[in-house]
Amino acid sequence: MAVIKPRPNRRGRPARQRLHSRQARFGLLFVVPATLYVAIFQLGPVLYGLVLSFSQYSPLSRSGPQFIGLDNYRGLYGDPEFARAMAITGRYVLQVLPPTVVIALGLALLSNRAFRGVGLFRTAMYVPHVISLTAVSMIWLWIYSDQGLVNEVLAFFGMSEQRWLATESGALNAASAMRVWKALGSNMVLLLAGLQTVPKDLYEAARVDGANAWQQFRAVTLPGLRPMLTYVVAMDIIYLAQGFTEIFVLTQGGPYGSTTTVNYLIYTEAFQYNDMGSASAMAFVLFAFIAGLSIIAIRVGQGRRP
Amino acid sequence: MRRVRNVPTGVLAGCLAVSLVAACGGDTATDEGGGTLTVWFPGNSEAEMALVNETIVPAFEEETGADVEVTYVDWADMSPKLNTAFAAGTAPDVIGHGVAATADLAHNDRIEDLTPYVEELDAALREDMSAALPGGEISGNQYIIPLMMTLRMIVYSGADFEEAGLDPDAPPQSWEDVKAAAEQLTVREGDKITRAGLVVPSDPIGAQQAFGTFLWSNGGEFLDEDGTTVLMDSSEAVDALEYYVGLYQGSDAVDNTLGATWASSPDAQQPIATSQASMQLSNAGDIGKYQDAAPDRDLRLMMPPAFEGHEPRAFGGPANGLMINKDSSQKELAWDFIAYMIDPDINLDYAEALGALPVHASAVDSDYVSSNPELAKAVEALPANHPNPNVPGWVQMRDAMGQHLERALHGEVGAAEALERATAEVEKIVDAGS
Amino acid sequence: MLLTRRARRSRPWPRIAVLAFVTALVLLPFLWMISLAFTKEGQAMSGISLIPEQPTLENFSVAVQAANLRQAFANSTIVTTVAVATNCVVPVIAGYAFAHLPFRGSKVLFYILVSTAAIPVSVTLIPLFLMAKNFPFAGGNDVLGQGGSGLLDSVGGLMLPYLVATMNIFLSRQYFAGMDRDFAEAARIDGASELRIFTRVYLPMARPLIALVAVFSFTGVWDDFLWPLVVSTSAKSTTVQLAITTFASTGNVKYGALMAATILVSVPVLLVFLFNQRGFIAGLSEGGIKG
Repeated sequence: MAVIKPRPNRRGRPARQRLHSRQARFGLLFVVPATLYVAIFQLGPVLYGLVLSFSQYSPLSRSGPQFIGLDNYRGLYGDPEFARAMAITGRYVLQVLPPTVVIALGLALLSNRAFRGVGLFRTAMYVPHVISLTAVSMIWLWIYSDQGLVNEVLAFFGMSEQRWLATESGALNAASAMRVWKALGSNMVLLLAGLQTVPKDLYEAARVDGANAWQQFRAVTLPGLRPMLTYVVAMDIIYLAQGFTEIFVLTQGGPYGSTTTVNYLIYTEAFQYNDMGSASAMAFVLFAFIAGLSIIAIRVGQGRRP
Repeated sequence: MRRVRNVPTGVLAGCLAVSLVAACGGDTATDEGGGTLTVWFPGNSEAEMALVNETIVPAFEEETGADVEVTYVDWADMSPKLNTAFAAGTAPDVIGHGVAATADLAHNDRIEDLTPYVEELDAALREDMSAALPGGEISGNQYIIPLMMTLRMIVYSGADFEEAGLDPDAPPQSWEDVKAAAEQLTVREGDKITRAGLVVPSDPIGAQQAFGTFLWSNGGEFLDEDGTTVLMDSSEAVDALEYYVGLYQGSDAVDNTLGATWASSPDAQQPIATSQASMQLSNAGDIGKYQDAAPDRDLRLMMPPAFEGHEPRAFGGPANGLMINKDSSQKELAWDFIAYMIDPDINLDYAEALGALPVHASAVDSDYVSSNPELAKAVEALPANHPNPNVPGWVQMRDAMGQHLERALHGEVGAAEALERATAEVEKIVDAGS
Repeated sequence: MLLTRRARRSRPWPRIAVLAFVTALVLLPFLWMISLAFTKEGQAMSGISLIPEQPTLENFSVAVQAANLRQAFANSTIVTTVAVATNCVVPVIAGYAFAHLPFRGSKVLFYILVSTAAIPVSVTLIPLFLMAKNFPFAGGNDVLGQGGSGLLDSVGGLMLPYLVATMNIFLSRQYFAGMDRDFAEAARIDGASELRIFTRVYLPMARPLIALVAVFSFTGVWDDFLWPLVVSTSAKSTTVQLAITTFASTGNVKYGALMAATILVSVPVLLVFLFNQRGFIAGLSEGGIKG
């Protein structure tokens, strides 16, 4: 509706059209600051990063980046460390996502009605999302420590304690459990908002047709919730695939690389081993991976084949 | 609109809380005036911080009129922080770091060649430090001045030895005997070890250093002399790693701390001090602290063992030291600070605070060393030290092999296979660097 | 399904019991955090009790004195305040324009801007680091951004990527799109300027939106870790999140002081959230995805 069509009558442009062009001018003026900022500090760095990914550059060296073509990408292709980090990142996303979404949906359904204390419940559930990932990782660092909460509870039930963050099989699961806990509340609040957009009369109609609770959920709730569910899943994928802070705090990528996510590898490659070109190439592969997963999620969400 | 009339007050309250906390902090702005020398020290030892902040720096400031600003950076963050600081041009004037980091920095022309400064040192002082200084050289040039020496030695409990029927005055001399003694000292409850016969660090960095200790005392090496050929898949290396793995795996395992990082725990919580272990591969300089933490355990040091038919060698040599930023505008003052830190008296205090071995040969006669016969043993054993290779890319090599070592220790792969893989990865790093 | 007659008649207690149990589980780690912060160092290691035997403030005084926490609070406050201010203006007016003042190509531009929200941080991390370093006229740099350290290791560098969050453009457009256009038409016929229409007609109705944007920006910036980790190299530009990690340094974690510092650092976001939570959660449902 923004399109201004040339009118055949050249004389006396109507007031309406003048108004429209004035609006357009103001519209343009209003978006200029945001557009400039995004162009310079979001899109600019993406292009710069793309150039870097074809270069060799060490922050320690006194000379600038040197163009080396596809070498960085070629290097990644046969790099077992990178392949492992990709697999770890994929596993991390896949084992955190389903429990988070399913439990959050269950809680949203349970709390989607007015009763005493429901506000308190929603607020309390949202608190882990507000507290920084750094801070909650610190708390869980203690929870998982040798004399931490988990081991004390196990000891109470007569089970033997474990070093949760020190075994290859356990460390990533420990981090995953923490992320489920952290993401639960925000997912729940978003799904709750989604539930409230489902038209009430549809339930009425379903009930008239004799649908039971489960059938109503399948026929009314789930389709109505689809857009929000898709959004929640896509956002979770984007966040989880970039896991870094919790790894930095809890395990530093270990034990022996079993929690080295791609983002953690990028950080060490760039700032520990000073290879910013290779790190940039990794970042773009991760970008493609995240985009691919999100597109699959969105297509499934829209009911199309992936 | 709706129920959010309290929005601005809400945000305001949050901001107020924030600024209150900030305001309580008072004036924290730093003075950027001339004559300020910035220094980074690695680590988070409270004893070191107290000594440096409260004694050494004030005395140096008094003497020179300069203003010294010291920052302590956690070991794990030191390299990333330093790399970004160099990129940014905000690196400190004086850089404290492990000797292992020197080669990369020198290779990229980031640190000052200190050879001319060292040549101006008093000849007697240079002679006094002659065991330590070469560890800070790269291709014959001095790039780092070591502040302390380190050596991996076994701390053992005389009390546990007697209890197990071993003679505390005649400790084992070979690794084979160490293992036999460890098996005798290990206490089990069912399958579970309740007191380890010998504990060895198994965190990635600690494992590399422990493995080096086994490797060198079995006649092996990581790299050849020019740092171009990787020698980690030799039969000496495989045997050394199998010995190391055998401490944790199998029915005659003697160490139950695999995966635990006790190496940097407080002294009183070290396995050897808490009676969780009867022998512990440790930093020899810490012996005094362990003795203080557990006076009834009769803690002693064992001279470095070797495998049968080989010379004793143990990870050690100059530990951390000081470098000068090539772009520093105050190199003279920076050197004055270094020179102050290697003054024999000051350095002795420093080594004592950190539980390290001093860099001066003359320190043998000092109260700190001579008052403790065990510490004197450590100084006596110093010639058996063997440092890690000092080549560009070393930190990356160390991390790469650390992972494979850990894998082998956990019994996930055999020793030979782990070393083959480690060799392949380290070779890649060597090739990339040359 | 939740409004069936049977459900309406059913007792709320089982539901409330389940939700109360989940709430307790979710809040448990925070209770332990508080408990540990008031427990004397050394006692934390021996046995577990939720209520410390001899509560102490010692950990808080250790936390405040160490780890540059005060400098970190000052820096984080400045950075967060500036970012909240810019985010409450720049993306909001852009979102308004996309909703009510369309121009040729505005739709395409909107999608381009919003899609940048999906770019992983690690893609822009290194370039932004180098851009901060080569920022003209900052930190001793010349007009070409050479010669000095630029915005690295400075408060200016810390705030660089936070000034406009593209997510806020999206939220703003969604919010304003839900408002009636007739108000504007009427005002225009009365001869009101576009600026006046925005500030007098629409902005006063957008308080829930501003609250949402403010809370999002506040928590997002205050809580961020990776960018400060990279851009700050010394104590003078440290942030609260960086400061607390120094308590967890390798192998020698002082849990009491660590938890005390974590509490101090989390209180501001918690206050901002709790003061706004009703409007915030309402705003989430209104500004969120539709259709």
